[in-house]
Amino acid sequence: MTPPSSRYRRLLAAAAIALVSPVVASAATPPNTLVMAWNIDAISTFDPAQIGEVVTDEILRNACDTLVDFDPDDASHVVPSLARSWSLSDDGLTLTFDLREDMRFPSGNPVSASDVAWSMKRVVELGFGNAATLEEYGFTADRIDQAIEAPDAHTLMLHFDRPYPQELILQAIAANRVASALDRETLMAEEVEGDLGNRYLTNHTECAGPYRLRQWNAGEAVVLEANGDYWGEAPKLPQVLIRHVAEAGTQRLLLARGDVDVARDLAPEDLRNLDGSDGIEVVKALKPQLFYLNLNNGDPIFANPKVRQAMRYLVDYQGLADTVMAYSGTPRASFVPLGSFGALDETEGQPFRLDLDEAKRLLDEAGYPDGFETRLIFGTLPYSAPIAQSLQQNAAKVGVRIELERMANAQLFSRVRGREYQSAIQSWMTSVADAHGMASRLLYNPDNRLEARQSMYPSWRAAYYSEEVNQEVQAALLEADPAAREARYHALQREMFEQGPFAILFQMYDVAGKRAELHDWKANGFRVYYDLASK
Amino acid sequence: MSDSTINSTALPPREPSALLGGFNWLARTLATVAATLFGLLVLTFFIGRLLPLDPVIAILGDNASQSAYDAMYRQLGLDRPLIEQFATYVGQVVQFDFGRSLTSGNPVLSDIARVFPATLELATLSILIATGFGIPLGVLSAMYRDSPLDYIVRVLTLLGYSAPNFWLGLMGLTLFYATLGWVAGPGRIDFVYEYTLTPITGFLLIDAPLLGEWQAFANAISHIVLPASILGFSAMAYIARMTRSFMIEQLNQEYVVTARVKGLSWAKTVWVHAFRNIAVQVITVVALSYAFLLEGAVLIETVFAWPGFGRYLTNALLAGDMNAVVGCTLLVGTIFIVLNLCCDLLYHLLDPRTR
Repeated sequence: MTPPSSRYRRLLAAAAIALVSPVVASAATPPNTLVMAWNIDAISTFDPAQIGEVVTDEILRNACDTLVDFDPDDASHVVPSLARSWSLSDDGLTLTFDLREDMRFPSGNPVSASDVAWSMKRVVELGFGNAATLEEYGFTADRIDQAIEAPDAHTLMLHFDRPYPQELILQAIAANRVASALDRETLMAEEVEGDLGNRYLTNHTECAGPYRLRQWNAGEAVVLEANGDYWGEAPKLPQVLIRHVAEAGTQRLLLARGDVDVARDLAPEDLRNLDGSDGIEVVKALKPQLFYLNLNNGDPIFANPKVRQAMRYLVDYQGLADTVMAYSGTPRASFVPLGSFGALDETEGQPFRLDLDEAKRLLDEAGYPDGFETRLIFGTLPYSAPIAQSLQQNAAKVGVRIELERMANAQLFSRVRGREYQSAIQSWMTSVADAHGMASRLLYNPDNRLEARQSMYPSWRAAYYSEEVNQEVQAALLEADPAAREARYHALQREMFEQGPFAILFQMYDVAGKRAELHDWKANGFRVYYDLASK
Repeated sequence: MSDSTINSTALPPREPSALLGGFNWLARTLATVAATLFGLLVLTFFIGRLLPLDPVIAILGDNASQSAYDAMYRQLGLDRPLIEQFATYVGQVVQFDFGRSLTSGNPVLSDIARVFPATLELATLSILIATGFGIPLGVLSAMYRDSPLDYIVRVLTLLGYSAPNFWLGLMGLTLFYATLGWVAGPGRIDFVYEYTLTPITGFLLIDAPLLGEWQAFANAISHIVLPASILGFSAMAYIARMTRSFMIEQLNQEYVVTARVKGLSWAKTVWVHAFRNIAVQVITVVALSYAFLLEGAVLIETVFAWPGFGRYLTNALLAGDMNAVVGCTLLVGTIFIVLNLCCDLLYHLLDPRTR
């Protein structure tokens, strides 16, 4: 019998060592790499025209600079990014950006204003969900060629159809992913069947930003590496690894062992246990995202505003905030998130508490002294089920019998978009720190007819329509005086406490557990700044 | 022509019929495989279209305008009659084109080629552990029925049956990874190796040695040993219990008494004579366990952040990504068919009555 080859012997030896050795456990994270555990199942592409998920948006914001950026310390303001300055014309209809001159894409191609213009027009042309971001401010397909122009390599002009508030426009358009600069030359070389590089961007980022995508394996990991051609300060950690870890308990173990620097999906009980423990810190930032009870106003029961208000008194805001929503959200009944222009303060923006007597009185007035039966649908978010159960128990005490139905998120979205529900638990996030971001979708409804299918408006999905509210939302939007504008939003919020289509429940936090040795973890409601983090 | 010439040149009379028989068997088998896979294709396709999951939203997101929604609906061909969609799809599948995954954007086949090796590696190690421990424990438990050893095996197998993998996984990670540090944590391999290994086969336990990356190999072993042991523990429980039950039945047969009366040792009677008679049944049990492991252990893959097939299929299903679901279903069907065929072949080898 011939002896096994040396390679084979080494294989056997390594296997034996690995099986018996107690010292093979992982080391700490590499000093030059930011390692995160995060559920990144939602990623499907890195095309700024197409993405909509929070995860991809955050990653892309670290790879693709936009014309301006949210101030890391105060998300209600913007700071220069691709554009070093900007000015608004006297008539308020033209916003002109002056772009930096020293910018290059990772391919070596220079970044010019025409790349930004092309990228923005591309969003409208492709027509994915993000086209609505531009269309909402008048950049529709029929006028986009005239509305966005690049007279020279470093000047970009946006011509609006109406004089919108400058700060709102800067946040809604210029700081949005739709205003990033894509490498036109590279993308057009990769174009397939007129897709403007959409397929190529499934697993590439061809833009100017501190990082670039090195690798994405769906359901496994995302690896970013520093962009050597970046115009700004180089990231302190030149590599970012985001490992897909769906299970919160596993994320906790990885964080506790030091195998990740940050865990992004920890459960409330894990956060409670980790908060204050040695070597680990819990960090959170309020997001402009509302978690709400969606009531179909097309249903005869919920068409009655008194019933909708009764539902608000059936929510145990504080009880939930202290338990399932600890670390996840703060009670908020106003449609304007805290931190946004026009928001009522913390106290006035949350006037409700669990009050069964008040709920019963409202139901009596609404003509439902014996309550009613209804069905509540909700998805797979971890806190949806306990909130639904809490509501069900409280409602039962005043005769409202709620049947609960849990389903996959995709099915939930489909049912709600088709108005095939009575009530649902959902969330909605805006991309601006301005009351208009929520008012324009949660209250304004351009056409309530079923066949109009304005399904990107939660107001339409809830069959909520008020001509007066529509007019007020538009008037507040175009109000030139900031103080008067703010007053309009305050009044609208107070009105919605009684008449609003939904029962707003919580404003959500972006919460993470991080190792103490990771410094400068900067997060605001819109993004995390990977390039600022250090070890 | 003499008789001797005839005898020397003509084929033996049984060989043509054996060849024909083999050909018939092959033809029957292929027809059965094709019919089964087509049936699976039909079922999965139409059930997928009936599910209240919207593939358009999976692509565009919840925020999409209705015009964008309508455009994508048409682009995916969902506006065409169902039968026409099916015909188009079958036309693609016969060319091994399963379409693109709606969520990852990649061709379904390339997605499966990426995730399946992770599961195959895990399942194979698990079944080796399960078989290596399960069969001896089952036989010993039957040999020493009602002894302390039997009770220990029965308690162990009961635990393997009843303890949820999900819980065992988290407990295992807490103890062996987080507390004792004996094994590496979730994932297939540490980050430092993950992007330095150039995939050859997709199996880390093969690629690392082929590339001479012995540290990476040891690290991969350290990552796989815990999830494989937990999966193997559950499968071991099933295999051991079934083996015990088969063996007890055999040990009550008269031939066992006869062998013992003739002076054969107890161990030889059991391992040589009785075991041969239960081998076919044990193979079936092992093959079924292996098939279920290959189908994907979603919970273990979730707890251990194992980028495998089970999780891919589950996510595809939840997102309404029917191209991926159909592709995965056909693969699962193929796995069961292949393992069934392997079992049939082994029956032929082990049991003369089936020839």
